[in-house]
Amino acid sequence: MKAVSVSSAAISNAMRYSQMRMQVDLVKAQKEMDTGKVADTGLALGARSAQAVNFHRDLDRLNALVDSNALVSARLKSTQDSLGQIVSATQNLVNVLTVAVAGDASDSVTSKSGSTMLQSLSTMLNASMNGEYLFAGTNTDVRPLDDYTSPASPARAAFDAAFLGHFGFSKDDPAAAGISAADIETFMTSVVEPQFMGAGWEANWSSATDQAIVSRIALNETTQTSVSANNEGLRKVAMAATLAFEAFSGNLSAEAKTAVARRAQALAGEAIADLGQLQSQAGIVQNRVSDASARINTQIDLFEKHIIALEGVDPYEAANRVSDLMSHIQTSFALTARIHQLSLLNYLT
Amino acid sequence: MSLSSALSIAQSALLSTSRQTSVVTRNVADASNPDYARRTGVVVSTAPGARMVTIQRAVDQQLFRQNIIAISAWSGQSTLAGGLDRLQLAVNGVDNASSASTAIGKLHNALQLYATTPSNPNVGATVVDAAKQAIRSLNDGTQAIQAFRAETDTQIAASVSELNQLLAQFEDVNKTIVSGTRTGSDVSDALDKRDALLKRIAAHVPVTTHMRADNDMVITTTNGITMFETVARPVSFAPSAAYSPGMAGSTVYIDNVPVSGGANEASGKLAGLLQLRDTTGATMQAQLDEIARGLISAFAESAPPLPDAAGLFTWNGAPGVPANLVNGLAGRISVNAAFDPERGGNVTLLRDGGANGAGYVANAAGTASFSDRLIALGDRLDQPMAFSPAAGIAASSSVTAYSASAIGWLDHARQQATTQADTKEALASRTAEALSNATGVNIDAEMSLMLDLEHTYQASARLLTTVDEMLKTLLNAV
Repeated sequence: MKAVSVSSAAISNAMRYSQMRMQVDLVKAQKEMDTGKVADTGLALGARSAQAVNFHRDLDRLNALVDSNALVSARLKSTQDSLGQIVSATQNLVNVLTVAVAGDASDSVTSKSGSTMLQSLSTMLNASMNGEYLFAGTNTDVRPLDDYTSPASPARAAFDAAFLGHFGFSKDDPAAAGISAADIETFMTSVVEPQFMGAGWEANWSSATDQAIVSRIALNETTQTSVSANNEGLRKVAMAATLAFEAFSGNLSAEAKTAVARRAQALAGEAIADLGQLQSQAGIVQNRVSDASARINTQIDLFEKHIIALEGVDPYEAANRVSDLMSHIQTSFALTARIHQLSLLNYLT
Repeated sequence: MSLSSALSIAQSALLSTSRQTSVVTRNVADASNPDYARRTGVVVSTAPGARMVTIQRAVDQQLFRQNIIAISAWSGQSTLAGGLDRLQLAVNGVDNASSASTAIGKLHNALQLYATTPSNPNVGATVVDAAKQAIRSLNDGTQAIQAFRAETDTQIAASVSELNQLLAQFEDVNKTIVSGTRTGSDVSDALDKRDALLKRIAAHVPVTTHMRADNDMVITTTNGITMFETVARPVSFAPSAAYSPGMAGSTVYIDNVPVSGGANEASGKLAGLLQLRDTTGATMQAQLDEIARGLISAFAESAPPLPDAAGLFTWNGAPGVPANLVNGLAGRISVNAAFDPERGGNVTLLRDGGANGAGYVANAAGTASFSDRLIALGDRLDQPMAFSPAAGIAASSSVTAYSASAIGWLDHARQQATTQADTKEALASRTAEALSNATGVNIDAEMSLMLDLEHTYQASARLLTTVDEMLKTLLNAV
């Protein structure tokens, strides 16, 4: 009877199970060393892998937001540039009108500066980026403003019709010289003004919508990221320029022209103030977008850290594990070979 | 008395030694057979000088029982772990690349980009593409799960037929043992065979055994269902050729008592397979169905007082929006043709609404950069909604979070099963080793025994020749 027993099968299989486990671990450790991540995220994290999946998805979304914010920023930047150009053009108009008020400018110069202003206004407000008209509100596939100086312009036709309707003759008619300053003031206030400040603007001038483009700039933040051509400042510029262009190209009396020039000058002055306001609003949005992007980038860093904390492995530790396992496996190979040599049979003759 | 009796004693010594030698030889021959238990030739003295060799078989019931319990647990858990690994790969793909969650994330990003440039229908088309990818993930996932269930069903059938075969063999062997024990013959080989069969039966179903008189064995499952008592009890199962979502698999009966897959700790291959087919497969399908429902309702067009109607994602019950868990919805969800440019649809419906009639139009002016609805759609993917508790995940979350939770649910199950399988594997190999140590053969011990026997044999033979010479001397003297 034996007190302690060990079977031959147990001896020769002793290393087999641990050998197998070590080799499985070796494959894992090698993979971890290569990728810097745990070999099987799902197995390592279990239920927490939902967290890792959420982190990854949010990370993707944040990166997508940074990309789309770049697009929004570019749009706002172009908008700012256009607004700046409009302001400086308006400034020129104010200068010309100031001279015109004093009666020192030739009519053709004043009229020309009015038409130039209208042309550049339509060029700038029709600026497009990425196939979208910047100042069109949400109606970005339609040009917001037609060229007033072209004969086909509905705005121009409307103005002419309004003049004719009010006075009974066109501005080029010799009878136009008889219009008094008071008459023209009345005309400007009751007829021209509604064309620009009222419903006439959207009917004849602008195809832009009041509604601006809304963009999501952060995970839970949306904001208006475009400027509409229907803005009051822009309407005033258009009205000042139109008045200058129309009044100084017609047969109006000097008295009436001065009255028009005075009105146009005042309007252009107001417009500059309004446009300044608009620029600063756009600037605020620009700032918000870049702030949001900066914030998102911080978040991205944070998420990446979280993901590494969840899934990452210390590469040095993994490397150590690999060399450890390799030496273990070698030892166990050597042992197995020695054990197999160890048999009574070798000593029996 | 005297010389002749010395001769007969030496003779019987020779006989018993040769019998013992044959036992040793048999032991050495079967040294590496894991099912073989060591025999010992025990010499019993009877009449003065006469000896008889009886063969004893090494037994350790305690260790054997532990071993078969460990085998059941290991077999169950490794079946479960292997099945879950396969499901994970088939449904979620490597690194969850083909999972619904990844597809929804991409859809969300495409939607965000479209919301930034709503005037560009090409960007809108990427949303439709992303939606198609989500649908592919859901449809393929459904198919993979149902194919997996059908395949598991086949495996159950195979397991059941093997079990029946094993029980039939068991019946034969048990009969041999009982009759052999009654007649007093050596039944060691049959006992080895019976233990081996028991180990194989335990791999399928966890069993407990009871010994009765004459080495008669009774097997019951750990739940107390009789599997073998004098005769083998039938294990029956009607396999189903194909599975569809919501279809319940047929039950396995042992001795006409239904066998359940058990709650968490699946023990035995059969329980593991049943759990994969009925619990895991069905729950994962329900989760995919709920994700599909979440997508349909997140993209539904809503314009109160009109009823909500299916938008970008639609199903065979459209235009209605499913309010509760619909079995197999993930296999029936599709992209609404009205939105799909490849099928003559119009992507801008996504921006403007109105796929279900003018009443649902959100962008009344039809302006190109109207982004409100697109932003709202993105928000809705993040808004919590109520999910069916039958799908095994926290009932209220956004569809995006829910799809991630589904991955977490599966990975949790995988982690549990794999850890369990590893532990049980270690236990099974440990108990097998202990059992082998207790009942197995040590060749060195057998060889040294052989030396002893050799010496005894030599001595007895020597005695014989000596007595022979003495007799010869005596005869010559006469």
